[in-house]
Amino acid sequence: MKVINHIRDIRLKKGITQVKMAEDLQITRQTVNAIEKNKYNPSLELALKLIEYFNVPIEELFYLEKEENL
Amino acid sequence: MKNRTLFILVMIFIVGCILFGGFLGIYIIGDETGGYNYDLAIPMIVGTLSGILLYVLFSKWSKRRNGNVPDFDERSIILMKRYLMIVLYVLLIGSGATLLILYSMGVYLIETGMLIVCLMTFYIIIGVGAFITKQL
Repeated sequence: MKVINHIRDIRLKKGITQVKMAEDLQITRQTVNAIEKNKYNPSLELALKLIEYFNVPIEELFYLEKEENL
Repeated sequence: MKNRTLFILVMIFIVGCILFGGFLGIYIIGDETGGYNYDLAIPMIVGTLSGILLYVLFSKWSKRRNGNVPDFDERSIILMKRYLMIVLYVLLIGSGATLLILYSMGVYLIETGMLIVCLMTFYIIIGVGAFITKQL
């Protein structure tokens, strides 16, 4: 099952740029891009930082993609 | 402050290694030809210092452009680990296969100079690969 996130939508809603987010979380801009495109799953530490940064519940930020045959 | 000290120490070590390698080269050339040409030290030192200056200028430009964004993070480390693991196996298997092929072709001796060239090529390819991996 794939982990999907809404980071891009939430970031744009809050008017935060990728560079600003990268600076605040001390990660590279490429990592921000990879997470937003669901190409990279952040570590638990970074995921918790993201939840704190956006101040949203975890289920709003990350969820498991449901498989059709389940 | 701690990172800055570490950066300066690493830079001193790298410059020291480059200069040591350069002087070693002058010594080896001198040993082969019979005359030590210390004029070669000028382009070596100028080249090294220019390289360091270019790197520092590029870092400052990059920092101004991207702000206080780090060069490395958890994803870079994971990518680098994967890259180095692939490089390790490619080099181990590739070098072994090359040696076996050379032996089967009737090559029983390898000149040390050729090994140096071979290693230099490996270093350059691994370095370029690491640079590309960092940019991913």
